[in-house]
Amino acid sequence: MEESHGGDKARSRLCCICNQRRPALRRPKTLQQICRECFYVVFEEEIHRVIVDNKLFKSGERIAIGASGGKDSTVLAYVMSELNRRHNYGLDLFLLSVDEGITGYRDDSLETVKRNEVQYGLPLKVVSYKDLYGWTMDEIVKMIGLKNNCTFCGVFRRQALDRGAALLKVDKLATGHNADDIAETVLLNILRGDIARLSRCTSIITGEDGPIPRCKPFKYTYEKEIVMYAYFKKLDYFSTECIYSPNAYRGFAREFIKDLERIRPRAILDIIKSGEDFRIATSTKMPEQGTCQRCGYISSQKWCKACVLLEGLNRGLPKLGIGRTRGINGDRQKDDQQIGVKNLQSKACESLDF
Amino acid sequence: MARDVIRVRVATKTDSGDQEEQLSTEKKLPADANGDDNHRRHRMMCLKCKAIEATVFTGGDGGGRFCADCFRSNLYGKFKLAVTSNAMISPTDKVLVAFSGGPSSRVALQFVSEMQLKAQKNYDATANRDRSLPVFGVGVAFIDESEIHPVTSAVLDKAVEDIKQIVFNLPQPTKELHVAPINHNYATKTNDGEQMLKNLMNSVGDATGKEDLLAHLRMLSLQKIATENGYTKLVLGSCTSRIACHVLAATVKGQGYSLAADIQYADARWEVPVVLPLRDCQLQELNVLCSLDSLKIVEIFNEPCGGINGLVSSFVKVLQEENPSRECTIVRTAGKLTPFPFNRIPEGNVDDADLVSQRRQKKFNLKPIESLPPESFCPLCNSPMNCYSNPEPRPQLFRAACCPSCQYQILPDEPSSMDQFYSLLPESIIARAKNGNQKWIREKIQDFLLSDGEDEA
Amino acid sequence: MQLTLEFGGGLELLCDSVKIHNVDVDLPAETQKLTMKHLLPWVRSNLIKERPEMFIKGDTVRPGVLVLVNDCDWELSGQLDTTLEDKDVVVFISTLHGG
Repeated sequence: MEESHGGDKARSRLCCICNQRRPALRRPKTLQQICRECFYVVFEEEIHRVIVDNKLFKSGERIAIGASGGKDSTVLAYVMSELNRRHNYGLDLFLLSVDEGITGYRDDSLETVKRNEVQYGLPLKVVSYKDLYGWTMDEIVKMIGLKNNCTFCGVFRRQALDRGAALLKVDKLATGHNADDIAETVLLNILRGDIARLSRCTSIITGEDGPIPRCKPFKYTYEKEIVMYAYFKKLDYFSTECIYSPNAYRGFAREFIKDLERIRPRAILDIIKSGEDFRIATSTKMPEQGTCQRCGYISSQKWCKACVLLEGLNRGLPKLGIGRTRGINGDRQKDDQQIGVKNLQSKACESLDF
Repeated sequence: MARDVIRVRVATKTDSGDQEEQLSTEKKLPADANGDDNHRRHRMMCLKCKAIEATVFTGGDGGGRFCADCFRSNLYGKFKLAVTSNAMISPTDKVLVAFSGGPSSRVALQFVSEMQLKAQKNYDATANRDRSLPVFGVGVAFIDESEIHPVTSAVLDKAVEDIKQIVFNLPQPTKELHVAPINHNYATKTNDGEQMLKNLMNSVGDATGKEDLLAHLRMLSLQKIATENGYTKLVLGSCTSRIACHVLAATVKGQGYSLAADIQYADARWEVPVVLPLRDCQLQELNVLCSLDSLKIVEIFNEPCGGINGLVSSFVKVLQEENPSRECTIVRTAGKLTPFPFNRIPEGNVDDADLVSQRRQKKFNLKPIESLPPESFCPLCNSPMNCYSNPEPRPQLFRAACCPSCQYQILPDEPSSMDQFYSLLPESIIARAKNGNQKWIREKIQDFLLSDGEDEA
Repeated sequence: MQLTLEFGGGLELLCDSVKIHNVDVDLPAETQKLTMKHLLPWVRSNLIKERPEMFIKGDTVRPGVLVLVNDCDWELSGQLDTTLEDKDVVVFISTLHGG
């Protein structure tokens, strides 16, 4: 293991920041030996700096925190609530959760989010696929099997969050995507040849021209540190794999990043930096935004993606909208989007087209 | 360079039975001697000529099936297309081919020699007509890295002998072979270059940094051989597979800005422009050709990489097993990055250069501002640096002149160690730090330079 | 030696969904000292009921698994060389799940 940079040359038994307390961990990001209290301080302070330096929020805004009950969103809710108080951001914070209707998976994590609502004092709104679309994921899988279920879930979730955010009348959505996620997405976009997504995936704010802008306050926060923080602070979270998600080749990329982190922790941030620095012509034309004729959601086609998929389900043509078929919109669907959504599954499927 | 596992197997026609091992998932049809075997033959025919049975199965793009001749001509075709459409080699050029002993550079050597031979034949055929276009010259360079990767003198001597044989047996005309040690860069200093090099390498703590520094020094050696012997182009055998690894490695090291510079067909930021004619060929194809044509390879100095480079190699290997086209996709993605102004061959036929650059400008939708040259280059790795990496135009300290990646993985942390490191650097690197990339500065002010005949400033 | 082993972040799924295990581990005959190096294979054999590759890789934990001994990061106590004492609490948390 490379240990010639920073790190623990001096094996003194004190926290290297306060020099008083016994260290409890070696910070994954910087390899500093640090005690719990100082860890909390630097962790929270770094996120505060990210929020301020990138102007993520404005005073008075209503912000929905995408809450899955998992570690990232739980810690995000906790930290944002804390920073909002401490630094007077003046934000109106909400928890927004999506119920896909996957038995055994979502029930438990929704319970966790409900507990978070109480623990952090943040109002919770749950939007369910059943309410929005008339189908649960369990029902969809029963209908179409395990082949393209992630496509459905991905498209539906994206809309569900936007619709939920609209119902709550929020100005922005904050998600718990962390540095590891973003690094992984950079690599995946290179592996898949998606130069358009590659140019957007490191942006800390996305979708400013869409219904609800989204931001990622954890862009530079290491996943390991989120877990450490949650552990020491005894934050309540739930973790499991989506029972329907296959372990796609995203697994290879994740493994690679973890191996990298072991020999050079800053590699994760370096990948993000590369993603930001790639010379990509910014002239990729954004499609014209109209509205879906069926449901009124924002769409560049006659029907939005979700409506196309739903039409297929309701008509018993589950392949409608998947792959290069001539769909309702009368033109070839780009299967790149499907592949993108499908392969961007790992965690609680929140890692979507951002 | 380490040899990858050969993923393509070549049928041995001399064997009695059908010894075709295939990577494709086609079911092997039973040998039907009597009945209509048109269907079977159709399945197994060479995709290109459709006349001969296929014996080479490449799992890559399109799942190719070729007979030996078509496979060879297909591969040479890729090489030739790269050379001509990027104006890599012009008749007045003297081309130096870097030969490491491995399969990629072996094929580069072979193809360049064949191209030269063809040009020579054309030249001879026009004996009584206009002979204005000469034939380009070819030389070969081998860098002896035994100071860094110790080998017994017996091993080294045999390798050099083998290389001499290979070069001697290339198609006519005879090519000059230059063998230089990796401490070549220190030749002008009075101190013992070998010791300085060893001390320099020892002062780099990071395993990846060491490997990368060695690669930078290797390039410097090649450049030195080229300039000292009047070569005008440097050919590297970098293939798709190698470039794919470089794309990921550079991404991981935070070199996303400069990546576009390293992976184009041409790179003119060096004194002697570097060209990559095998950019579109996969390592497996090159291995197959070496096997098919019995092109001799010399395995030396090819220890597997450690650190980041090693991890990336393993990762790409795993990806290739899952999908044999992955390398191509990676390089294709990186190919969509906007290249730098120096990623084209500046001299040669004016029309060609214009055409090439016009095509590029159109393809990449370059605005004039993006065509502006970067302000500075890292003295160690020669990477272009954007203004955000290096706000100081004329940094006082060597450290500040280097790119963030080299600062992290190559330069020592302590200021005192830094002084010592600086004292061990070859003169050419120090000059780059002080004076900038001379080649590029000259290019920029080209139009304003008075020619020799006029008054000099 | 009595130890309390905790599994979190999804690792509990590999141990029949039991998060906390109170175990008695035999000391290795030669040294009479128990280190993490010995504990890991013991855990693999005795507690991990499925997909061991999610927990262990080579002779150490899979990259992405955090290890805490008595609430202290094992990176500080020498990782595999960390010595364990009676009544110690070892926590394994996977970072590779959830959102």
